[in-house]
Amino acid sequence: MLEIRNLTKIYNDGTEALKNISFKVEDGEFLVIIGLSGSGKSTLLRCINRLIEPTEGEILWNGKDIAKADGKSLREARRQIGMIFQHFNLVKRSSVMTNILAGRLGYVKPSSSLLHHFPASDRKKAFEAMEMVGITDQAEKRADELSGGQQQRVGIARALMQDPLMILADEPVASLDPVLAHSILGYLDEINKKRDITIMCSLHYLDLVQQYSSRVIGLRDGNLVYEGSNAEIRRMTDGEFKEIYGEEAVRVNAGSLTGGIENE
Amino acid sequence: MSNALKTRKPLIPPPVAAVMSAIVPGLGQLLSFRVRRGLLLLFSFVSIVGLFIWRLTILAHREVTFGDQFVKSFSRQPAFVIFICALVVALWVWIIVDAYKMAKGKKDKGAGIFALVLVLFFSLGWQISEINVYKMVKEFPEAWPPLSRILWPWEAAVTRDTSSVEAEAAILADDSVNPPAAPEYIEGKPYLKSTPTFGNMSTLDKKNLAVKGSVLHLEGSGFEPDTLTYIFWEDSIGNEFRPRQDGDYVSFVTDADGSFVFDLVMPYRLTPPSAVGQQIHHVHVRQTSDVGPLKASEPLKLTIVLMLETIFMGMMATFFGIILAIPLSFLAARNMMSGSWITMAIYWIIRTIFNITRSIEPMIWALIAVVWVGLGPFAGIIALTIHTIAALGKLYSESIESIDPGPIEAIQATGANKLQTIMFAVVPQMIPPFVSFTIYRWDINVRMSTVIGMVGGGGIGFLLVQYIRLLDYKSAGIAVWFIAVTVAILDYVSSKIREKFI
Ligand SMILES: Nc1ncnc2c1ncn2[C@@H]1O[C@H](COP(=O)(O)OP(=O)(O)OP(=O)(O)O)[C@@H](O)[C@H]1O
Ligand SMILES: [Mg+2]
Repeated sequence: MLEIRNLTKIYNDGTEALKNISFKVEDGEFLVIIGLSGSGKSTLLRCINRLIEPTEGEILWNGKDIAKADGKSLREARRQIGMIFQHFNLVKRSSVMTNILAGRLGYVKPSSSLLHHFPASDRKKAFEAMEMVGITDQAEKRADELSGGQQQRVGIARALMQDPLMILADEPVASLDPVLAHSILGYLDEINKKRDITIMCSLHYLDLVQQYSSRVIGLRDGNLVYEGSNAEIRRMTDGEFKEIYGEEAVRVNAGSLTGGIENE
Repeated sequence: MSNALKTRKPLIPPPVAAVMSAIVPGLGQLLSFRVRRGLLLLFSFVSIVGLFIWRLTILAHREVTFGDQFVKSFSRQPAFVIFICALVVALWVWIIVDAYKMAKGKKDKGAGIFALVLVLFFSLGWQISEINVYKMVKEFPEAWPPLSRILWPWEAAVTRDTSSVEAEAAILADDSVNPPAAPEYIEGKPYLKSTPTFGNMSTLDKKNLAVKGSVLHLEGSGFEPDTLTYIFWEDSIGNEFRPRQDGDYVSFVTDADGSFVFDLVMPYRLTPPSAVGQQIHHVHVRQTSDVGPLKASEPLKLTIVLMLETIFMGMMATFFGIILAIPLSFLAARNMMSGSWITMAIYWIIRTIFNITRSIEPMIWALIAVVWVGLGPFAGIIALTIHTIAALGKLYSESIESIDPGPIEAIQATGANKLQTIMFAVVPQMIPPFVSFTIYRWDINVRMSTVIGMVGGGGIGFLLVQYIRLLDYKSAGIAVWFIAVTVAILDYVSSKIREKFI
C-alpha cells in the first residue's frame, strides 16, 4: 500500500509543482491521475520513486518512507515499483533483450551485470515477459528499429522484469495512436487484474480514463482537486470536470476514442 | 532614430555638399544625413590612400621625399601606380558626384561606388601580397624538372645490386729503380698488365700549368665483353680517385673478347712530404654492372619506415588524447557540472583551457615540444596529444551534454546503482559520438603528423624536408606520394567506420 502524506515539491526555480498533497493507493488499484498539462502529474509520479526529490512530505510504501530512504533501501523500493514512460525511454542503441534485462538490474550482482552478464533464469524470465506483450520475435533487434507501440511493450516488459508490486505509468499512451493506446492499456489492465499489480497511471483521454480506471484523482496547479471511483467518473458532471480542467475545457463524448481534452 | 535621420532634410544644398566631399571625401554625405554612407566612404578613401602611400615607401625605400618615392615607384611598377592613381581619382570624383546626389535627397542608394572601393582594396591586396603571375608562368620551365621528378619519382624507388670485375697493377712513381713486376696471370681471372711499370706523375710547372706524366700502356683481358669500364688510381698511401684525361673521367668499352688496350697518362697527385722510399701506386680497372632483381631503394625504404612512424605517431597521440580527454570531458559538460558554483567554476575553467589550447595549431605546439624534449617523433606526439585533448575534450563534452536523459531515468527507476546506470544508459548513448569523433581525430592526427616533422616533430615530414633541402626531388616525390596515398586511404576508411557507427 502506498500512502502519500503532505507531499510538496518546489523546483529550484521556485515553481510549486505539488502543494501539500495527500492520498492513499490500495493494493490492486488501477489509479488514474488526470489534470491539465503542467498540473504536476509527472512530478507526482517521479516523486514516488524519487526520480525527483520531493521537497517535503512522506511517501509511505508498505510502511517505509521512500522520501527518507537512501542508497540501498531506495534501490530496494525502486525495484518493487516499475515505471513506464510517455517516450518509452528505451536505450535506443541496445537490443530489445538488453533493454528488458535491464529491468533486473536491481536484483543481479552489480559486478557481473556491468559486463552484461545475467543469469539464465533472468533470460528465461525476459522471454516470458516478451511473450506476455507479444514481442518475442523482436528480441535481437535494436530498440530504435521498433515501432512506437512495440517500444512501449518493451517498456512494459522491462517493468515486469522487476517483479513489481506497483507500476507507475506517466502518460504511457500519449505518443501512440488511439488503437495502440487501447492495446497498451489492455496489457496494463491484464497485469493489474491477473497479476494483482497496482497501477498508477496518468492519462489524458477521458474515455480511456473511464474505461480502465478503478479510481481517479485529479490535479490542478499542484493541488489535489478531485478523488472519485470509476462509477463516479462515469457520472462526472460538467461542473466537476471544469473544476479539474479549467473553464475552457470542452467535455467530449465519452464514447469517442479520438476525442480529448480540447485545450491540450 | 535611423528613420528620423533618413527623413531629415539635408543641411546643405547639393553644390556645397559636392565641394565638402571634394575637400573631405564623405563629408557631403555626412551633412546630408547619410551618416553610415559618409563614414564608410571617408574610412575607405583614407585607408586606400594610406595603404597606397605605404606601398610607395616600400617600393622606394631609399628615397626620402614623397616626390622621389613616387617617381622611383613609378619607374619600378608603372602599371600598379597608374592603375591605383586612376582609380583613386575616379573614386574621388564619384564621391563628389555622390555627395551632390545625396544632398539632393535621392532615395536610391547605388552600390556601384562600393564596388569601386572593393576593386581598389583588392588591387592593393594584389600588390601587397606580391602576386606575380608573370613570374609564375615564366619560371615554370625551370621549375618543371624538379616538379616532374616529384610527380613521377618511381625510378628512384628501385635499385639493383651491383657486382664488380676488377684487376690492378702496381706502378712505381717518379723513379725507375727496381720497378714492380707485372702481376701474375691466373687463368679465368681478369688480368691487367702495364708497360712499363714505372714513370713520372703529371705535375704542375711554376706557372701552374699541367705537365703531362709518362704514358702507361695498359693491356687487359678476362673482363666482361662490350662493357663500360673505368680506371681508378690508388696513390702510395691508399687513397683512391678517378683520374681525368682531357677533362673527362677515364673510361672505355671492352671488346667482344673482354680484352682492351689503353694508354693512360699518369695522373697528377701531390706526394705527401712525409713519404719516404719507393712510391708504389696502383692502377685499377673496374667494371660494375647491375645484377639480380629490382630492389627497394634506400629512399623508398626510409619513406616506408617513416610513414609507419607517422601513422603510429598519429595513433599514439590519439590514444593519449582519448585517455586524457574522456575524464576531462565530463568536467567540461554542463549537465554533469551544474550541481554547485564550484563545479560550474571547474566547468568554465576547463572549457576555457580547451578553447585556448585548441586555437593554437599543432605545428606551434610542436615547436614548443621540440624545445622541451628535443627533435623526434616524441615531440610530435606531445604536440598532437595536447591539441587532441582539447579538441576531443570539447567534442566529447558536447556529446555528453546532448545525451537523452530518458533512458537514465528509466534505468534508475529499476533500482540500478550509479555504475549500472552509466553502463546501461550513458555508455550506449556515448559510443557512436565517441567512436565517430575519435576516428575523425585519428584521421586528423595522421594528417598532421605528416607535416609536423617539418618543424622537427619526427615522422615523414622530417624526411621530406631533408630531401627537398638536398634537392633530391625524386626521393621527396616518393615521400609526397606516400603521404597522399596514406591520407586518401585513411580518409576513406575513417568515413566508412564512422558511417557504421552513426
Ligand atoms: N525541472 C523543472 N524545473 C522547474 N520547473 C519544472 C521542472 N519540471 C516541471 N516543472 C514545472 O512544474 C509544473 C508541473 O510540471 P509536470 O511536468 O509535473 O506537469 P504534468 O502534469 O506532467 O504536465 P504534462 O501533462 O504536460 O506532462 C509545471 O509548471 C512545470 O513547468
Ligand atoms: Mg508530464
